[in-house]
Amino acid sequence: MNDTFTCDDKATLVAYLYNEIDAPDRLRVDEHLRQCVACAAEVGALANLRTELAAWAPPDAQLGFTLVQRAAGAPSAAPAISRAPWWSSVPVWAQAVAAVLVLAVSAAIANVQVKSGPDGFVVSTGWMTPAGAAVSAAPAPVAGAADEQWRPALIALEQQLRDEIRATRETGTVRAASRSPEADEAMVRRVAQLLDASESRQKRELALRVTQLTRDMDIQRRADLLRVEQAIGHTSVEMARQQQRLNYVIRASTTPQQ
Amino acid sequence: MAGDTDSFNQLVLRWERPIYALAYRVIGRDEDARDVAQETFLRAFRALPGFKGQAKFSSWLYRIALNLCRDWIRRKKRTPVVDMPEDVDFIEMAADQGPVESIEDLVARNEMSRIVAEGMKLLPEEQRAAIVLKEYHGLTFQEIADLQGCPLSTVKTRLYQGLSVLRKHMESRGMTSFASGRAS
Repeated sequence: MNDTFTCDDKATLVAYLYNEIDAPDRLRVDEHLRQCVACAAEVGALANLRTELAAWAPPDAQLGFTLVQRAAGAPSAAPAISRAPWWSSVPVWAQAVAAVLVLAVSAAIANVQVKSGPDGFVVSTGWMTPAGAAVSAAPAPVAGAADEQWRPALIALEQQLRDEIRATRETGTVRAASRSPEADEAMVRRVAQLLDASESRQKRELALRVTQLTRDMDIQRRADLLRVEQAIGHTSVEMARQQQRLNYVIRASTTPQQ
Repeated sequence: MAGDTDSFNQLVLRWERPIYALAYRVIGRDEDARDVAQETFLRAFRALPGFKGQAKFSSWLYRIALNLCRDWIRRKKRTPVVDMPEDVDFIEMAADQGPVESIEDLVARNEMSRIVAEGMKLLPEEQRAAIVLKEYHGLTFQEIADLQGCPLSTVKTRLYQGLSVLRKHMESRGMTSFASGRAS
């Protein structure tokens, strides 16, 4: 480098900006910046720019690359990089909700029924006739003397089954009724929480939109001001030129003719 | 061989994010940046026997990634673009960031990020890569020159020209702080 720094030495200016410069050269640039307003402004603006560049960040992507070495006997034994599956970027709660929904839909489609009885829990699937219809269809009229012997037993069994079914329904109703107030309170609390959360979110979203709008307006206002300032500056320069021309004309007109 | 794979996977874990970030900032597309990062590690593994340690492993990876980015840009025959999410959920972002950063700060940061990304689109690939390597990966002028295969002075010129374009872009967006000031 020469003894003095010159304004067009941009390579040294960049080295100074990134602090990759020898101490003597740094001193020379410092000395120059104390005297040259334009270079000092440029270095300051570039330093500000560097600070703002940090705002640009890539997406927070879930990568999870893994090198997979295939077996020697595989059709292609070349190594491959596997990626994290696409759903790894989905939040866990969303995955859980999706899983529950899939299970519920599957159960609805398959008409899964779970019953408890003397033989334990019974899980059945498929579209079946209603239980009442099945029960009423059970004592179908039969013919024959041998069947007559079984008829009272079958009627007794049918009655017993009906009693059990009724008892089961009543018990279920009683249980449901006894749980009702607590369940209602819990439900009300849950709904209130959801409403609060929704309201809070709406407030924050509103604040966000207002902030964005304000910021956009501010940026637009600053841009407009900049344009106005530039226009005023241009007009001032033009007026100064006109003034100079006018002065020249006045001087020329007042000069005595030879 | 399994030991090689395991060891290499440790390196992948260490460098996957910087390589992805480099690819994203140079070519500007999330999915393509993932592809480039994936291909970078695959090529690095294949070329690992030829790596003699004459350069830093990171520089070696950066070189592979940059070459792939260059190939991508030439193959697509277009300038880098930047995917900016249109519907950023600031509420979620604020929740992730905790109470330190307000929504207003997040909005400002996102706005600035968008403006910077727009400005980066204006730059030729060499200037863009030089700025990315310097600003976001902290490489020295000499390391960038080695990666880009050009003289040191060319790197400085690329940086100056690129920064100047970005500065003008910022000014055009009403960011008056770039019109004057003093280095700190």
